[in-house]
Amino acid sequence: MSEVIVITSGKGGVGKTTTTANVGTGLAKLDQKVVLIDTDIGLRNLDVVMGLENRIVYNLVDVVEGNCRIKQALIKDKRYPNLYLLPSAQTRDKTAVNPEQMIKLIDELREEFDYILLDCPAGIEQGFKNAIAAADRALIVTTPEVSAIRDADRIIGLLEANEIKSTDLIVNRIRMDMVESGNMMSMDDVVEILAIDLMGAVPDDESVVISTNQGEPCVGDSSLAGQAYMNICRRVMGEEVPFLDLKIKSGFFGKLKKLFK
Amino acid sequence: MKQQTVVIKSNKYGITLVMDRNISFENLLKDIAERFRTTSDFFQDARMALAFEGRSLNREEQLEVIRVIQENSSLEILCVLEQDELKESFMKQAVEGRQRERDSNNGRFYKGTLRSGQVLESETSIIILGDVNPGATIVSKGNVVVLGSLKGIIYAGAAGNEDSFVAALNMAPMQIRIADVIARSADGPLYTKGNMTGPMIAYAENGNIYMEAITKDVINDIRI
Repeated sequence: MSEVIVITSGKGGVGKTTTTANVGTGLAKLDQKVVLIDTDIGLRNLDVVMGLENRIVYNLVDVVEGNCRIKQALIKDKRYPNLYLLPSAQTRDKTAVNPEQMIKLIDELREEFDYILLDCPAGIEQGFKNAIAAADRALIVTTPEVSAIRDADRIIGLLEANEIKSTDLIVNRIRMDMVESGNMMSMDDVVEILAIDLMGAVPDDESVVISTNQGEPCVGDSSLAGQAYMNICRRVMGEEVPFLDLKIKSGFFGKLKKLFK
Repeated sequence: MKQQTVVIKSNKYGITLVMDRNISFENLLKDIAERFRTTSDFFQDARMALAFEGRSLNREEQLEVIRVIQENSSLEILCVLEQDELKESFMKQAVEGRQRERDSNNGRFYKGTLRSGQVLESETSIIILGDVNPGATIVSKGNVVVLGSLKGIIYAGAAGNEDSFVAALNMAPMQIRIADVIARSADGPLYTKGNMTGPMIAYAENGNIYMEAITKDVINDIRI
């Protein structure tokens, strides 16, 4: 039984693409057959984050327009044999594809994959409509900032109107030190406003930036963010996983410093 | 057959009572009673506006006539119009206006969270079982009750009824409008940790909107 998940946020720059790359890679690590689809036509970058940019020959628009078969456009990941990417086109715009075409394309992919992840563009226009058209469920990515939350709220409303009932929340780039000092919303505060289930929280971790720049998703590595992403993947698959303690553990010197404060 | 002292002219929204000015008021009432008794089948349970013609009546006399009409037929008189307002359009407006006011005292329920960008409009009063998030808008011609947090824009008494009120379990709206009065929230941080106001009610008075904790006194002042 395959599942189509759209990763969306409304606001740009909150970490949709990074989340897609990490959740997709994590699911592949858990032995699922996964395809990632970049629906951000004209501003493609999921391939960059995945480190697969140099392998692109055909793209999403080519498939939809019939210039190639789906198999030809799917890029096999260099690390995991059961992970694929369908890149978006860089030279076209969102109007090159319509929702009906997306539904048809995804229905073909459903037969072959366990998970189909759609990386949604920012905004609520054509690109968003294309991305959600075939989705069974949604992961809403937000940062603990009022502007991102406002947009996420709007997106949840639009998803409800489009009858995508299963929406879960990922709070990205949370900084526990700021939460503790009362200068940042906590996961609970965000959940209280948005009133949907929390799928996971990812700390603001430099390992994410490093791994993104290297084209190597950090999911599953020893960093706090890597663990958080892995837990999200397990929860996506329906496992019950307790939430991580995101507090940065202070080492011996940190403890010493605290003593003298 | 004696000369008719009372003539009823009617249109879709109202009736005009044409009365003889040469008979006594007591006799007039008797004639009106008889006239409406015989025509009550025709009007059935209609709700209408009433206008007088042919004779000027003072306030008490008007009320007396209305009482007689309602006793002798199942007509419901919603309002009385002055003579120069006899046109059907005026009657129509008047009747529909009253009807709306009556409707706004009825309510409907909405269950769920209203999210940014969503607009809920209602001809009647509305009760929300959920939150109204920032960026969401509710427009009601009657009252609004939110069984949750109210953080969006709320517009009660949208048809101009200043007696409308807004109540919420957590009152933190961006903007409240009641009839023509607008109030906005104070400027300040958009996010403060868990400050719940507790149940509050907002109402308009002398061009201002007041928000108060819900107490017996406040509720006594509310007109529905």
